[in-house]
This record gives sequence, structure tokens and C-alpha cells, in this order.
Amino acid sequence: MIAEDQLDREALEALQPIHHQPDTFFSKYIWSLDHKVIAKQYLWAGLIFFLVGGTLAMLIRWQWAYPGQPVPLLGKILFRDSGGVIGPAQYMQVFTMHGLIMIFFAVTPILIGAFGNFCIPLQIGARDMAFPWLNALSFWVFALALCLVIGSFFGDLGAAGAGWTTYPPLSTNVGTPGSGQTLMVAAIFVTGVSSIMGGINYVTTVIRLRAPGMTYLRMPLTVWGLFLTAVLNVLFVPVLGSAALLLFLDRVFGTQFYLAGAATQGGGDPILFQHLFWIFGHPEVYILILPAWGIVSDLVAWFSRKPANWYKGSVLSMVAVTALSAVVYGHHMFMTGVNPMLGQGFMILTLIISIPAELLFLNWLRTIWKGSIRLTTPMLFALGMVFVFGLGGLTGLYLGAVAPDFYLHDTMFVVGHFHFTMAAASVMASFAGIYFWFPKMFGRTTSELWGKTHFWFTLLGFLVVFGGQLLAGYSGQHRRLYDPFAYQYVQPLRALNRYTSWAAFALFFGQLAFVWNFFHSLIRGPKAEANPWHVGTLEWSIPSPPPVHNFDHLPIVRRGPHELSDPRVHARLGRDWIGQAEVLPDERDVPATAPARG
Amino acid sequence: MRLTVLAVGPLGIGLPLDASKEGWRIDEMINVTSLFVGVIFAIMIVWMGWSILRHGPKHRADFDHGERRSSWIWTVATAGLIFVVVDGDLLVRTLVSVNRIYWNFDWAERQPDAVRLEINAHQWAWQVRYAGPDGAFNTPDDVVTLNEVVLPKDAPALFQIASTDVIHSFNVPNMRMKVDAVPGTINRMWFTPALLGDYEIGCAQHCGANHYKMQGVLHVVDPAQFRDWLAAASANSLQGYDAQDNSAHWGWSWAENTRMK
Repeated sequence: MIAEDQLDREALEALQPIHHQPDTFFSKYIWSLDHKVIAKQYLWAGLIFFLVGGTLAMLIRWQWAYPGQPVPLLGKILFRDSGGVIGPAQYMQVFTMHGLIMIFFAVTPILIGAFGNFCIPLQIGARDMAFPWLNALSFWVFALALCLVIGSFFGDLGAAGAGWTTYPPLSTNVGTPGSGQTLMVAAIFVTGVSSIMGGINYVTTVIRLRAPGMTYLRMPLTVWGLFLTAVLNVLFVPVLGSAALLLFLDRVFGTQFYLAGAATQGGGDPILFQHLFWIFGHPEVYILILPAWGIVSDLVAWFSRKPANWYKGSVLSMVAVTALSAVVYGHHMFMTGVNPMLGQGFMILTLIISIPAELLFLNWLRTIWKGSIRLTTPMLFALGMVFVFGLGGLTGLYLGAVAPDFYLHDTMFVVGHFHFTMAAASVMASFAGIYFWFPKMFGRTTSELWGKTHFWFTLLGFLVVFGGQLLAGYSGQHRRLYDPFAYQYVQPLRALNRYTSWAAFALFFGQLAFVWNFFHSLIRGPKAEANPWHVGTLEWSIPSPPPVHNFDHLPIVRRGPHELSDPRVHARLGRDWIGQAEVLPDERDVPATAPARG
Repeated sequence: MRLTVLAVGPLGIGLPLDASKEGWRIDEMINVTSLFVGVIFAIMIVWMGWSILRHGPKHRADFDHGERRSSWIWTVATAGLIFVVVDGDLLVRTLVSVNRIYWNFDWAERQPDAVRLEINAHQWAWQVRYAGPDGAFNTPDDVVTLNEVVLPKDAPALFQIASTDVIHSFNVPNMRMKVDAVPGTINRMWFTPALLGDYEIGCAQHCGANHYKMQGVLHVVDPAQFRDWLAAASANSLQGYDAQDNSAHWGWSWAENTRMK
């Protein structure tokens, strides 16, 4: 062992002493400082709101399949005054809350809150986050935002209704009065505070608490994805916060930051909000997809039993996307009367950002080539993510260019495109991660049969539902229409909309396979081994579930995260994998500063 | 009223009838990109299927530490090829068509037969204004309609669009054109109707509960018919003009807004 690493380890261990085990219910489950418990708190919160957001999606799909007909089951409870029929004002609340909940309160807590908390310290070899107290605080601030979201549903004029993009003046009192919208604007601000705190914590942890030998280029790509997401959160969520704060002032204190036009006589600028919103909003797309990219990049390597193709290229691509993410946002605003020069500039930048995404994608394809593919549930979901992300990325081409956007902007084509990327790809990666880390999180094994059933419902569901949206948009159907068939030229699309809705219902009820699998495995699942997947990253070198302090002794890392099928390892250990901190019997000491791989 | 029949495929899928002179460029871009996307997607499916089905657990993974020259050259070359061909095609077509056609307002302004309209959007209707014989907006001979646009065939139609209350988006799918109506701003768009008929106008931007009802109709008529209609409507306007009704005088001076912002 190299003396330098030894010294590093002593210093890092002194920095992260092993504390008392929490012994009260409160310190174990409520105000826990353990990153693994906080990860589970985020996971539970995210899954519950995923159900809420999904239910709202079913109401939208019902309306498109059977406009103006009473909603079965739920209609009697939710729309009692109208005999179970969704009204136009309620409909706009339904799609607004669906979007906001899914993005900020379902996918974000699962991908970033749960996996960020669970994976970062374990995979870089740390005993906890850099700031455990701040970590607990970010969750409980997030929980406060969830309360505001629930409160919004009980607003005096109903929930928020200005669309998830919350464009003013519609989102001011001019267009959407009532406490529901105000509470939702507040919820966005508060969850933003939580994201910034979380982001600072993640960034600090990755920079400061990597185990000795865990160079940046030996980090699992999951950590890279989460790290870059945290960087984006720290940089751009404050912009969203400022946009939301100004909107809050407009709504509550009568300022006119976003008000203009004859009706309001305001001296503000509605487009200012769009700039602020999309400077955040486009990076937000990457905030939601970078962790997914990271997780999938690792999973396809591990379950192909091959090192990831061009690991450094994947890192480089993710860094490039992070750097470019804020300079492409103008493509959301091609129709706002943007200066033509600016519009074309944003178009060129948008097309350029497709290069790193392509590199990453091609790396996945080349990683699975001539591997030894193990079609476990996490791998199926990872491959499914590759598949749906392919569709999402390719359909983005049309929208990145100004001219096709004249026709496609604000149609269901846009809806299909971003659902393939932000919904299908992010959710597939989330499920891949949940199935993959479930044994480590809960110490129990999930059922492969139920997992695979869940996979097929999810993959086919996503393909038909979001594919149907793409086709409807290509045929000209606008988004956010209470009754799309009020337009005569949309009327031929009735059957398409109905079939798509049926697929959506199947997708929704197919998730029951996950619910059953999750709870049954949690209670009855067979006990998990320390390393059921035969993977070499650090979290698999400790028991499932890990002790509160993770590592008795911090590991000294010697190699990259996907050292699989190496003949030298096979000859000496008789298996196709080696731990990142494992030493081969006759391996020479390599200083941590040496090139990471190859 | 029965609208002009629209070209549709199975399940109603397909681009709506293109009734404009310029829209074919957009359709061609969408269709060519679809072709590329289809080919790439097919290759992806075959590649993934082959990798998964051919090399299962029984196959021993080809060891390759992933950092060989070929690893990155293959990736970079393939990505480069896709970028140059697919993105390049879109980029060139868009730059050419946007600069020469869609955002070339100066050219459209110079056409002697160009028709000018002002649109004022509000929840949930489109107010439409023609300058009338005097050529100036906001004067007593202006023709003002609600949710109805009449345009002559084969003449460029230039729109200046604003909104009273919230953001709307003036969308004519059959002309392949839309632009947002933003309070406090005047936006522009233009197209040339090429086929006689009646086409739907929609609002593409969520603007409140009755967003879905914010519809209008575009009648494309013979130039002679258009002249007659405009003259008759203008005479009507002069008769009914009320100088005291400020809310009816929402028009603005055209010239000040024609310069590039």
C-alpha cells in the first residue's frame, strides 16, 4: 500500500469520525442525518407523488378519449358538482398540476434526492454527505414544498392552472386568480431552496470526500451524472427562484414585473419571465436526464460484463452538455417574436448540443456490442431507457430548428418529444436504479418475474402513449386543449387519441406490478447478499444494507468502476469482476495519481 | 360551415393540407428529417436486438478496456456523420428558408399586392383589423372583424399581432405558420395563401379555461372577391364609426413596427 494513500485515508477518516448510532425513532427515521435514510425519505415522497401525478395524467387521457363524459370511479369524488365530468377550468388545473408534480415532486426527488443521497457517499467511499445536517434540512424543506402542493389542491378557486411553465400574465391574477396558483408558485420557490441546499451538499461531497485513489476518472458514471446535475442545480435553480419570487410579488403585493398590455396597463414584460424560466428550464431538462444517463451508462456496462466504451468520452460528453445547457434555452422561444439573429444563434447551439448526446448514446450501443448480456430487470430498464431516449433525442431534431417549429411548436409533437426524454427516459432510469439498488437499500431482493412484467408494461406503454402524442402533433393537434375535437381538422384523430388513452390506462395499471413487487420484496423478499449483481463499485463491498457509517475503514481505490471480464482478473480470481478497492495477489502498487484506466 | 377537406392518412395521421405558397419547405424538412430519423432508428433497433439476442450470458464478453483508439474513433466518426448529414441538412434548409422566406419581412413588405392585417388577441377571441382604402390603421374606414380573416389568393398576407391580456399564439396549421401574441409587444408573421378555401385558425398557447374555444376561420378568396368584400365592409365601418368608443380604436400605426426588432 502506498504511503500517500494511507495518509489520505487517515486524514479523511479523521474528518469523518464514526458517530453514535441513532437510537430514538425520531433520530432514526424523522430527523435522520444518515444519507441512506434521507435517500429513502426522498424515494417514498417521490413515489407517492408519482402516483398523484400519474393519476392526473389518467384524467387528461380520459378527457381526450371521452371528452365531456363522466370520469369513472374518481369522477364522483373529484368532480362531484359537475356529475363526474371534468370542466374546462378543472382540466387546466389537472394538466398544470400533472406537469409540476411530475417534474419537481416525483422525478426530481427520486432521481436526484434518492439516488443522489444513496449513491454519492457509497460510491465515492465516504461515510456520509459533507453536510449531514444540511442534508436533512433539504429534505424537510422539500417536505414543506410538498405541503404547499397539497394545499394548492384546496385553493379557493382550485389548484394552479397556468400550465407547468407558469407563463405570465396568465399566471398572475389577471389570468389565474386564487390561492391555488399562489401556493404553487411558493412551492416552486421552496423546493428550489431545497434543491440548492442539496446541490451544494452533493458538489462539496464529491469534491472533498472521495476516498483515497478515487480520482475523478475512476468515479462511476452515476456519480458523474449526479455531480453535474448538482452543479446545474446550484447554478440555475436560483434563476428559477428569482422568476418565481417576482411572480409571487406580482400576485400577492401588486407589483408589475410581468404585466403589460391594454388590459393591465402594466409597465413590465411577460417575456422577461420566459427568459428567466428557460435559462433554468432548459438546464432542468439536463438536470433530470444527467443522473439517468449516468445510471444507464453504468448499468449497460455492468450487465454487458464489459468496461464502458470510451468512459472518458462519456464524462466529456456529460461535461459538455452541462456547459452548453444554458446557452440553448432560446429554442423554447422561437415563436415569441425573438430577434431573428438570436433565434438562429440558439438554433445552431441547440443542434451543437446534440453532438455530446450522440456520443454518449453511441457509447452505450458500443458497450453492449459483443458483451455477455444479462437481461436482469435493471438491465431491461436501462436498455429500455436507451430505446426511448433514442426516440426522444431524434424527435428533438425537428424542434431544434426554427422552420419546422413554425408548424410543430405548441403541438402534441412537443409533448411527445419531452415525454420521451423527461418522462420515459428519466422514469425508466429511475426504475432501473430502484431495482438495481433495492438490495443495497433494503437488504432484500426483488422478484425478477414481477420486475420483468413491470418492464414490459412500462416500455410498451411509453412507446404507444408518447408515440401516439407524436403522431397527433404531427397531424396538427395542439397541446393543452380541453376538447381537441373542437377543431374540425383534429376530428379525424379521435380514434388515435382513444387508442393512446387505452395504452395509457394499461401503462398506469401495469405499475401495480411494481407496487406489489416493491412492498412484497420489502417485507418478504429473500435476504440480499452483499454483492448480488457481481459489480465492483464500492457500495457492493459492504453489507446489504450497509451500517450507518458505511465503511469501517475507508477503502483505497485502485481502479475504475467497470473492470469486467479482464482475463488477468479471471486467471487470478476465477471471476469476471474485481472491486474498485480490491488488490490482485501479484499487483504492483500504483499511485493514485497514475492514469485511471487502460 | 364545412372546412376545406384535409389530407389525412390512416387514423387521421398526416400533415394537414398545405394551403400556402411557402409551407412546402417546412413539410419537406419534416419529411426528410423523418426519413433520416427512421433510418437511424431502424439501425438502432437492429444493433440493440443483435447485441442482446446474439451475445447472452453464454457468450464470454470480448474484453476491451474501452479506451482503445478504435473505441473513440468509431464513436466520434459516427456522431460526426450523423451531425453533418442530419443536423447539417436541417441547419442549411432552415437558415436558407428563414432568411429568404419566413423571417424575410422586408421582402414581403415590398410586394405591391401585400395585404396587411392587425390582430389583437384577447381571452378568447381574435380581433382582426384591415386598414381600409386609406391605407392607414386606426382610422374610421378600418375593417374590423371578429374571429374571421379574409385573404386574397396568391398575395402575401402580413400580420402584426398583439394581445390585450395574456399570451396567445395565432396559429394557422394549413399555412404552416404561427406566432405568439404577447401583451405589450407587436409580433409579425407572413405567408401567402395559395389554395381557395376555408381554414381553421387556432390559439396554440394555453390562455385560460376556454383556450380550446379560441378559434377563428380564414377564408381564402379570389383577389376580385376580396376587393369587393373589403370595399363593402369598409363602407359599413364608416357608417357605424363611433369616435367616442375608445375600446374599438385598438389599432396601431403600421410603419413604426416594420423595422427589425
